[in-house]
Amino acid sequence: MSTPDSELDKHLAALFGGLDTRADFDVRLMARLRAESQTDATERGKRARQQELTRHRRAVLELQSRRRLTLRMLALDAVGMSLPLLLAVITAWSRFGGDVMDISRQYGPYIAMSLAALIAAVPLLGMWREQTRSPIRLF
Amino acid sequence: MELVRAERRDEAIVQLLPAYRRKVFGLAYSLLRDREAAEDVTQEVFIKLWRALPAFDGRASMSTWIYAIARNASLSALRARRPQSSLSDAEVMDAVESSNPLPSADVLVERAAILRLVDQLPTKQRQVIMLFYMQEQSHEEVAAMLAMPVGTVKTLLHRARARLSASAGKMSATA
Repeated sequence: MSTPDSELDKHLAALFGGLDTRADFDVRLMARLRAESQTDATERGKRARQQELTRHRRAVLELQSRRRLTLRMLALDAVGMSLPLLLAVITAWSRFGGDVMDISRQYGPYIAMSLAALIAAVPLLGMWREQTRSPIRLF
Repeated sequence: MELVRAERRDEAIVQLLPAYRRKVFGLAYSLLRDREAAEDVTQEVFIKLWRALPAFDGRASMSTWIYAIARNASLSALRARRPQSSLSDAEVMDAVESSNPLPSADVLVERAAILRLVDQLPTKQRQVIMLFYMQEQSHEEVAAMLAMPVGTVKTLLHRARARLSASAGKMSATA
């Protein structure tokens, strides 16, 4: 077998020049891409739903935390306000006349108790509302 | 690039297929030496491209990007499948035998012998020879496909052809 360069070229071009994929390559590829596309869309939907759920859970947790903080502040406010209020009432009481003093002696404990119950009721009501509130649901 | 920006991946792939299918297949085939495996890799490469198209930022040229994906996919496939088959395993010869006009028996025998010689070349020389004759004998195109300087492609091609000529000469002397 003698193979000069031009002959070698001819043989190599004949061997490799016509190499190509099979005729149905494009059809098979497009079918696979369609299948991939569907899987891709489903995956994207799942991911979006998961992200939305996570975002929702985070928002609910943040809201609950803010409510608890507000209630704590309200409770501290109530305690803080009740002390100067008590002092103000005692100071004002001493300046009233004998009738008022008589009434205060008679009803004083009831009035004080009602006032204390009223002040304490605000945060208690808030807590009760927080405990009994149904959780927010997306679906 | 416009289609990629518009997120019309399917249309982009339809446009890329005729331009790159044969090149990607050639790249895979020159390394794997198995037509079936090379077709599988070519399909995988186009699916990878389809998935990665939205992330393509255009910093590298599209062809550089595609060839890089094709080279990596071919190398992964090569690592995954051992032992290798050889080029002489019928497929190339089938293509040659089905060519028109049908070559004579002597020519077919000679081509089968050359195919065996190509198969015995070192990997880089074999790849360069195969791709050069597949890609309309363009040094630049082969260099881009193999990510090599054009000079290296020319050197490898020269060495491969010299080796093939010498081996063919030896075979004819012993015959």
